[in-house]
Amino acid sequence: MSGICVSGCGSNTNLEKLLQLTLNGLMAGTVLAVPAIGLTMIYAVLRFVNFSIAGHMAVGAFAGYMLNAWAGLPAVVAVLGAFIAGAAVGIASDHAALRPLRGYSALTLAIASIAVNIMIESTIRFFFGGSPRDYAIPLRRDWTLGFLHVGPQQVENAIIAAIAMAILFVFLTVTTTGKAMRAVADNPMLADSKGIDPDAMARLAIGIGMGLAGIGGMLVGLDTSIDPLVGFRAILSVFAAAVVGGLGSVPGALVGGLAIGLSEELSLLALPATYKSAVGFLAILVVLTLRPRGLLGARA
Amino acid sequence: MTMLSVTNLVAGYGAHDEVLKGVGITVAEREMIVLIGPNGAGKSTLLKSIAGFLKPREGAIAYQGKPIGGLRPREITRQGIAFVPQEANVFPSLSVEANLEMGGYVDRRATKERIEAAFARFPVLAERRAQEARTLSGGQRQMLAVAMALMAAPRLMLLDEPSAGLSPAASAELFALIKGLHDEGMTVVMVEQNALDALAIADRGYLLVDGSNAREGRASTLAADAEVRHAFLGG
Repeated sequence: MSGICVSGCGSNTNLEKLLQLTLNGLMAGTVLAVPAIGLTMIYAVLRFVNFSIAGHMAVGAFAGYMLNAWAGLPAVVAVLGAFIAGAAVGIASDHAALRPLRGYSALTLAIASIAVNIMIESTIRFFFGGSPRDYAIPLRRDWTLGFLHVGPQQVENAIIAAIAMAILFVFLTVTTTGKAMRAVADNPMLADSKGIDPDAMARLAIGIGMGLAGIGGMLVGLDTSIDPLVGFRAILSVFAAAVVGGLGSVPGALVGGLAIGLSEELSLLALPATYKSAVGFLAILVVLTLRPRGLLGARA
Repeated sequence: MTMLSVTNLVAGYGAHDEVLKGVGITVAEREMIVLIGPNGAGKSTLLKSIAGFLKPREGAIAYQGKPIGGLRPREITRQGIAFVPQEANVFPSLSVEANLEMGGYVDRRATKERIEAAFARFPVLAERRAQEARTLSGGQRQMLAVAMALMAAPRLMLLDEPSAGLSPAASAELFALIKGLHDEGMTVVMVEQNALDALAIADRGYLLVDGSNAREGRASTLAADAEVRHAFLGG
């Protein structure tokens, strides 16, 4: 996390450290929830874990990079491009590689999605190379609230993530199309008999899910830097967030994102930073052992 | 005038699994038909095949003279046929109101007015309009399933064991509702374990045994038939 102090910033009592890490965790968790919601939405409608979400995070990160660093658009605007690029590549890659496999087991589709992921990351590496790149955003001083420090970019990222999730929430709960998508997630055959086209809804879910992954990739990149593996490094935390919240549950993915973000940051109180990524593994293990359907999942 | 005709229908769930082995039924406009028979006779399979949930392997299904066998469920619904499955017949994570909205998805003109009309007809649902369908009782859920089917303004309703799992009171309420719909002119084909109650309100009945037609006739005749009563009605 750039820009946020963890220790040695003028305050180092345990309580202050705890509050600082909690703040960091909430910020990180909000961003993490965006691709986690993408993953869980696709799972809800198509019933398999699409690991190519990692590659689509990279697609969004690089599309945003081109719009921001090359075309000079502000990062907030470039985020829209990240969504559109993630959605477009998501629909195209699904159509070409995964759709022909529908009807096979969830495991087959999940493995195929890993192959899709490798192809997407390799294509990005072919055009952009593997070196880290930075967005064209100004370096800004941290904001200080008493003993708490927070980077303006983190706040902006969390706000963008919150807006994206709010728009999705309205879409799913207010619009007829959003409700139809939830109906397909509940029971595709019954939805079909009501006049809803499950295939069209699946395409829409993939578009929105991968679009959200694109936004997530760009937000992670704005906080650090980007390379073709920007999504791959985050996929464990994203998957853990979706599993902890309950695969298939959109509110669950938000809660899971916050839980994983907080757990990863708070683990720094007891563990070296290199073990942070183990928190995701641990969370998946604990949830699958104690509550397989996750915190808010309706079914196991 | 014949509204629905099923001829020599063969259908099943697996490659070598034939549940229906050449079944045929005809349904006239405004008629109420009840399908009875032991478990595994193929009654539900027949409804699923008509509704497009299952592709027929052989035979023909015609609705108002047009072949509909093998069409997708939504294409069947657009023809004016509504199917209420026995289980999983509502969307559990959607509110009662959203379920009704989805019921009318096939024709979204005047959805709001039709939802209000449904609430006027089913006050028990109106009281629970914002509640998730998964929280409804069995009887309320069946009411919602029927109300959802009516949202598409069908001319033919296929009901698969509507009283299954309901209390006697809820079951009686549901039969009264179905009879009311029939009296208003709705054509109904119903599968029902509770065969005596169903035959009491139906016009005609078909007895299916092991995927084939065993007997057919007026509902009152079937209900009085000693062999039928003994074998399938416990009489």
